[in-house]
Amino acid sequence: MDIATIRASKLKHLAGADLEDEDLSHIDLSKVNLAGANLSGANLAAAKLVGANLDGANLVGCQLTGTDLRANLLGANLMQADLTEADLRGANLRGANLMQARLSNTAMAGAFLSGANLMGVNLQRVDLRGADLRGVNLSGANLNGTNLAQADLQGAILSNANLEEADLRDANLAGANLSGANLLCADLEGASWAGVNWTGACVVGTLLEGKVEK
Amino acid sequence: MLEGSILQKLKASHELGQGDKRPLNFGVYYKNTLVALCHALEDAILEADYSPLVITAFQRGKWYLQEADRYHSIAERSPQVVIMASDDAGFAEHPTSQKENVALVALDDADPVAQEWHLIILSPDYTAMVLCQELTEADYGATGFPQEDLERKFYGFWTFEPGLVLETVELAIAHIGRYNSELHQRLIVQREAIAARIQQEDALCHQPTADHLGRTVSRVVDYLQENQQDLNHRIEPLDNNLTSNELQAFLRVAQLIDQTDLSNPMAAAEVASLAEAMGQLVDLPSWQLHRLRLAGLLHRIALLDKVENRLTAGTSIYQQVESPDMALSCPLVQGVQMLRKMGRLRAIATILTHHTEAWNGSGQPAGLSGDEIPVEARILGLVACFQQRVARYRAAAPEEAIETLLTQALADCRAEESDRWDPKLIEVLTLLVKGLQQGMSLPIAMPKIAAGLWMLDSHSEEELLRYEESMADLPLI
Repeated sequence: MDIATIRASKLKHLAGADLEDEDLSHIDLSKVNLAGANLSGANLAAAKLVGANLDGANLVGCQLTGTDLRANLLGANLMQADLTEADLRGANLRGANLMQARLSNTAMAGAFLSGANLMGVNLQRVDLRGADLRGVNLSGANLNGTNLAQADLQGAILSNANLEEADLRDANLAGANLSGANLLCADLEGASWAGVNWTGACVVGTLLEGKVEK
Repeated sequence: MLEGSILQKLKASHELGQGDKRPLNFGVYYKNTLVALCHALEDAILEADYSPLVITAFQRGKWYLQEADRYHSIAERSPQVVIMASDDAGFAEHPTSQKENVALVALDDADPVAQEWHLIILSPDYTAMVLCQELTEADYGATGFPQEDLERKFYGFWTFEPGLVLETVELAIAHIGRYNSELHQRLIVQREAIAARIQQEDALCHQPTADHLGRTVSRVVDYLQENQQDLNHRIEPLDNNLTSNELQAFLRVAQLIDQTDLSNPMAAAEVASLAEAMGQLVDLPSWQLHRLRLAGLLHRIALLDKVENRLTAGTSIYQQVESPDMALSCPLVQGVQMLRKMGRLRAIATILTHHTEAWNGSGQPAGLSGDEIPVEARILGLVACFQQRVARYRAAAPEEAIETLLTQALADCRAEESDRWDPKLIEVLTLLVKGLQQGMSLPIAMPKIAAGLWMLDSHSEEELLRYEESMADLPLI
């Protein structure tokens, strides 16, 4: 596929296309169908992919800094991708692989992340307000100071996670596993936490139900 | 939290059901951060004539001895300094300890206050405190006690709020009473004298100003940054903690400004939410939305002025946003200048500087017009004014339905369309208000002060205008 053609034309169907290692920075691929496309190693910095379909796409090691990815990324492979300041608000990331992806100041408010693989991801400066994180495995993850207000963390695995100073106001933690988690000075005002496993969790200075724990 | 500690007692009196007090919101502080923070708050004493009562807790005598020379100067400017620490390293022998107005309280080893780190400064014109407790071995969990002294962790909070400082001084004095009844009596008298003066209208601790609180905050940011340079980004958590506290310094000023405006105490949180919602409606990129939110939280800092200007102007700073005729007394707004101390807030400072411009060019401070005014500044100016008007109508008619108040405030803004406000944004605000009247709700949350790093973006000030061209074809939802 010729990149000049893609840039010039109004192509809407690039499903299954092979765009490995291509420079697609600043390109407008809004609403384009890229299902199953191979974009591994491609440079999509500051590109617009709002409303695009990236179902099952291969985005391994992709450059996605500042990219507008308010898209369908169902089951996409984003391993080792650089998502610094990418816009993933409301994106469908169910079942996506984000292992070792770089997320710094990434906007993920309202994103759907259930079934996503977030192992070894540093979510410290990520905006996850109202995100759907049901059942997600975040064991040992760095969520220090992360904004998780109103996030849905039902059944999430947060064992040994670092949630120091995290904003968990009005979050749903029902049935979550917080064993060994560090909740030092986290704010859980208004959060629901029926059936939470707190075994060995540090709740010093944690704000819960109108009072500070411990 | 250690039973019987000052932090624990203050926490207990702020739990739900204890009158109208809010639960305290704690943060984590590395020792490294605390040293810089305390030095900055202490040095304010050396610069102005506050004559404060200073009460400190140093854990151990040896930590006090490291600071004893500094405390010699502080004692020159304070009628009374109290040092609480466990009696080791011969802390009573230091010349500072010998001074008449310096009282030492040798804490028992079993006293929980011996695990705390406090700096409490009480005066009519300046109140500040750092109130912390060290993590126990067990609290550290699997990582265990840190090897490096500077990596020791504490939790608690710091503040400029006079009410909290007064309350804490009372708890500290009661604690001191266990050790020294003569000192106890003397401190009670001193506290009451200062408390009475704090009640008076001219007490500056209730009036955030650029040349008092503003200068202190600038110093806090300077000292934290100096520390950061020494640290040379070696240890990421420590570096983050310093950055977080630089931002906290500004958020705490904004918090204090809101608290002192009884008719509109939620201005920061409401403006932040409205601004972010407007930004979403005009489809700004996410980093700009975060920036807009932060600008909303900090917007009233732009209104900080010098004491003398406030006295001569004779008007509340809060009215200035609402009335374009009442120009800000200094074009290079004092409060905004201090935001520039923190590199990553320079863009916020520019937004705040221009949020008082008018669409037709008749505004302050630069007389910019139309698209010359950065879009964030245009949005912020409009929603800050709108929110202020809603608050004013609410204060005038507390029983009135919110829908009516919104309609009134919107009508006022619409009347100024194309003169003061961008017509496109008036259209967006109209849509937003319609949504709010039809049951859409905006989450209005006070910021979690210790956790704001997600709002800091890496874009530069210059990029403020980059998105202007795309404003022409705004997707109005």
